Amino acid sequence: MAQTPAPPADDQAWTVFEAEALPHVDRLFRLARWFEGNRHEAEDLVQETMMQALQSFHRFQPGTNCRAWLVTILQHVRSNRRRARQRSLMVDDPDDRIAYTIPFVAPVPQELTDEDVLGALGRIPVQFQEVIVLCDVEELTYKETADALAIPLGTVMSRLHRGRALLRSELGASRAALGRRRAET
Amino acid sequence: MECRDVREMTDSFLGDELLTETNHEILRHLETCAVCRADLAARRALRAAMQRAFHHTRGLDPSPEFMAHLRTTLRDAAHTVRAPRGIKFRGWWALAATVLLAIAVGFAYRGRDWITAAGALARAAVGDHRNCALQFRLAEKPISLEEATQRYGAPYRVLESLPPNDVTTVVGPAHVLERHACVYDGRRFAHVVLEYRGTHVSLLVTARDDGARVTVPDEARPTLNEGRVDSMSVISVQASQYMIFFVGDLAQADLARLADAVAGPLARQLAGV
Repeated sequence: MAQTPAPPADDQAWTVFEAEALPHVDRLFRLARWFEGNRHEAEDLVQETMMQALQSFHRFQPGTNCRAWLVTILQHVRSNRRRARQRSLMVDDPDDRIAYTIPFVAPVPQELTDEDVLGALGRIPVQFQEVIVLCDVEELTYKETADALAIPLGTVMSRLHRGRALLRSELGASRAALGRRRAET
Repeated sequence: MECRDVREMTDSFLGDELLTETNHEILRHLETCAVCRADLAARRALRAAMQRAFHHTRGLDPSPEFMAHLRTTLRDAAHTVRAPRGIKFRGWWALAATVLLAIAVGFAYRGRDWITAAGALARAAVGDHRNCALQFRLAEKPISLEEATQRYGAPYRVLESLPPNDVTTVVGPAHVLERHACVYDGRRFAHVVLEYRGTHVSLLVTARDDGARVTVPDEARPTLNEGRVDSMSVISVQASQYMIFFVGDLAQADLARLADAVAGPLARQLAGV
């Protein structure tokens, strides 16, 4: 019986990588685009992330969350780039500054538009944006988020708590401002 | 469970991060509390609104040209990426590996005292490289070398100017990204992070545990001890009562070229402290 020759190992590796990792590029790009602020930087970041993922794909454990694994690589690449740009590690921890500045937990407004939500998210400090986006948008677990951002689990939880409260305050403020504008016109 | 407790845990409840028993307690409370039910619904709506906004806003999506370019680049690269070690380990290679392993075990046995002492330091150096240079997750914030000099003595001052910010090696340049003093696993290091061969490499100096001074002749090339520790290339150099480590995820030979360029002057300066 004639046998079909097995595909070369490189082709097999590519096929697996293509099936497992490439479907996540769209969401990975949205993350990169959000955090980098411009399209060119985001494309550069995602390309480097995917190249690193390809080179170390043998370390990925099948059956685990591939998107979380890719997000972890993306965050490491981001951190390394930030370090190279700033050449400094010794910055204030924003958690310390913001810990006691949230006056109350605002109620969540009704009838939110995409613009409202992204606008409010963009106005809170980036450290809080990171945990909210990874946990609430990307639905990573606290543990996966801690690994991706290389911060302790407790820090993820405290930043989430404060970040969500800040987000609700921002949403409440923006809706109130909109209500005032409507009343004036 | 009271309303206050439930509100504290509502987001974790939505994220499925609570124990089953706690979920049941919250569900029991929700059955009887309309206010908490409304709060939960509002938070769920906010979460859904964020996901919708993030995944459907057109300004955040990748362009089709980028997606096509990325796919092509990755597919081309996939055919040049080396297969991981072990995949093609067959026949003669296995025999050769066995012989090499036996030789390595012999050397390890002969030098086990050195390996025990230096190996512990090397593992700490690799841990510091991973947790400080690559992942920023040290328990204690790094301090400047200037501050470390005032607190802990002169060796830290040596690292303020050595190596120079731009180092030339026979395989390419290295650039210093930052210098500081940090603590990993209870051990204090003077730490210089360099960018070299497309990756980050750490140069770490710490005190030897035995406190013995090793003489470093003025003109001599210091002896480099090379090895792999926790999947990282490591090179160590003795310098008086200090150990110098070079750590990075790159070829051992490339790391050795960096050590060749840097270790000599650094070891001599440290010996003079």
